[in-house]
Parts: sequence; C-alpha cells; structure tokens
Amino acid sequence: MPRFEEGRYQRRVALAMLLYVAVMLLAWPLVRGTASPPLKLALALLPTLPVLYVIWQMAQRVWHGDELEQRTHLIALGASTAFVGVASLIGGFLAAAGVVALDGSILIWVFPVLLIGYQSARWWVARHYGSEACAGDGAGMPLRWRLLLVAGLTAAVGWLAWRRQDGFDNGMFLGMAAATVLFVLVQGILHWRRRRRSGAAPSHDA
Amino acid sequence: MHNHVRELRGEHGWSQADLAERLDVSRQTVNAIETGRYDPSLPLAFKLAKLFGRPIESIFDPGSST
Repeated sequence: MPRFEEGRYQRRVALAMLLYVAVMLLAWPLVRGTASPPLKLALALLPTLPVLYVIWQMAQRVWHGDELEQRTHLIALGASTAFVGVASLIGGFLAAAGVVALDGSILIWVFPVLLIGYQSARWWVARHYGSEACAGDGAGMPLRWRLLLVAGLTAAVGWLAWRRQDGFDNGMFLGMAAATVLFVLVQGILHWRRRRRSGAAPSHDA
Repeated sequence: MHNHVRELRGEHGWSQADLAERLDVSRQTVNAIETGRYDPSLPLAFKLAKLFGRPIESIFDPGSST
C-alpha cells in the first residue's frame, strides 16, 4: 500500500477550504433572497461539498497511514467525537428545558469543533509516542505558505466585509481574524519549543 | 518493551528514514519504536526480524521496559 503524502493532503485540504470560504462569501448570501425551492436547497447545501471532500481526504489519510499513524488518528477522532457528542447532548437537554435558546444553525459548528478537537487530541496523543510522532513526514506545506494563505483569506474576507457592510461578512471576518491570531500564536509557540529542544538535545537520526 | 532496533539499524548503516522506507512506515514510527514509546504489531515485528535476519526475541525483550 503506498504511503500517504502529507504535503499533498495539506494542499488539497487548503484548496477545499479556499473553496468553502469562496462559497460562503459568494453563494451563501444569495440563499435568503432565492425564491425557487430547488435553487435554495442547492445553494444551502453547496458549502457541504468542499467539507465532504475534506472528510474523504481525512479518511484516505487514515486508511493509508502506518499502524502508529492510524492509532493516533483513531484515538484522536474517538476523543473528539466523544467530546462533541457530550457537548451536543448537554446543549440539547438545556435547549429542550428552555434554559438556553439554541436554534438549528448551531449545528453548523459541529464539524469545525470536531476538527479542532481532533487536531488537539491528535497532538496530545502523538506526544505520548514522542515529540515527532505528529510532525508528519516533513513534506507538509511549509509554515510560511500556511500563514500566508490564512492571512490572505482573512484579508479577502475583511475587504469584502468592509465593501458590503454586511453583518454575516463582518461576523465571518471577526471569526477568521481571531482564528488567525490563535493559529499564529500556536505555531509560534510550537516553533519556539522545537528550536529550544533541537538546541538542547542531539538528533536521534543516524 | 526494550528493543535493539537502533543498534541493529546502526550496524547496517541505515538512517531512520532508510529503515522507515524498507518497512513502509513513517520515520516518526521508527523513532517511536526505537525510543520504546511504541511497541510494534506482530506483523511489523516480523518484518523487522526478517529485515535484520534475526529472530524476534533477539530484537525485542519483553522482560524489561525503557
């Protein structure tokens, strides 16, 4: 079975995320103003296409991983699913009891929270198997390109929000800007820790 | 579980990446096995034994841990 290429996975996921943001900015705002039910349905479900593609890529990544990679992926997915499941159960009971007011649109957050939980849990599980276990094959998308992509996307959404003065765009921009700051902070801390560790210990590789 | 993978790899003059390629696993997995943080499955242990031309029990020592 051929080994999965981490770099190709990251490029494909980045492309799918670009498409997702483009759909959310360009097609999604048309949903409320569309009268035709089939078109409304198609527009409403359009953002799920890039997400389904990402899920397919994730499945391929797990399927083609070696035994340790599969182990870390599956433990992380299990932990994340349990967390999201319990959170949904608590939210559902509180909403049903009238303690908090939640509408159906909150379900949009299930998948992103699942992904964040999966990445965090995978990082935590991989630490158990050594600091390098979650580092991939070193063939991933370079950090500067990832940062540039995220910053470019945030800037594009900010520009659109400023031009259209739309509440949805503003909310999306603020969310993306906050996520960008968090992403840069986490990457900065990881980079600093790697440098400190590589300075303190010799490489194990022969 | 203690193992002699690092020493055997050194004897063959292979890097972790070389061994990973021969085993069809990632370099990170080789590193986790060598440091004793991960015990490989039976098929992978047999693959290692075949690659080094030694019996499994001379590579892995279940009696001690790292």
